[in-house]
Amino acid sequence: MTSPDIDRTLAALADPVRRQTIDLLRRGPRRPAELAAAFEVSGPVMSKHLRVLRKSRLIEEVAVEDDARMRLYRLRPEPFEGLGEWLEQVQAFWSDQLDAFKDHVAHRQRGRR
Amino acid sequence: MVAVTVVADPATAFEIFTQEVDAWWRHGPRYRFRGKRSGTMRFEPGVGGRLVEVYDDASGDLYEVGKILTWEPGARLAFEWRGPNYRPGQVTMVEVRFIATQDGTRVVVEHSGWESLPTGHPARHGMNEVPFLHTMAGWWQEQLADLKTHGRRTS
Repeated sequence: MTSPDIDRTLAALADPVRRQTIDLLRRGPRRPAELAAAFEVSGPVMSKHLRVLRKSRLIEEVAVEDDARMRLYRLRPEPFEGLGEWLEQVQAFWSDQLDAFKDHVAHRQRGRR
Repeated sequence: MVAVTVVADPATAFEIFTQEVDAWWRHGPRYRFRGKRSGTMRFEPGVGGRLVEVYDDASGDLYEVGKILTWEPGARLAFEWRGPNYRPGQVTMVEVRFIATQDGTRVVVEHSGWESLPTGHPARHGMNEVPFLHTMAGWWQEQLADLKTHGRRTS
């Protein structure tokens, strides 16, 4: 059910600070310092989280035209699409199971009457 | 979240769901746990019991899907879920709710990630301080929906 890609995405999202980072980046690109301030963590701790998110390709660095030294991070939609496909498989699995359960209950209840 | 309405009261629906799991659980490698080998699915009643697929009772050959976390007949059932290809230590949770409706019971299944496992669960790996804000599906679907609109905006 889980491919290595999905595993990596899930592992990256298993941390609350990293999930909150994703939440915040949905509203637009942010600087590392802004993120660190928002979650009240130190710069090095934030860098570590950003590195995990970058390695799992959930976020990417973007250059700022006016300032070569400034870095911004933004979301990459691709891993979320993979996750979406996987979630759909999970949904389909339970949907099939519940249909079977429904039929079974109907069959059993007919027998009880 | 997946839901269905069945023609039975919640107590009966819970009873059939748990006691007759092997009769209604679909067969085949997509649904069972050990590929071609089909065993007998069983809920061991009560918290601390397990959901298992038994291949041979005599030798104790079985696949343990997970331990039962909540057992409230006629209302709620929750259990751990380990897929056959999960990596060691990886565990998710399935919650089933039985809600009375006019013509039967609405059965709601939610399969969520390890971040929603109860506080103190070993699989949480020191994530105990995390509030249970997001179920896996709910949170991710929100992300996906947002990303879709975001993608359209920027592309």
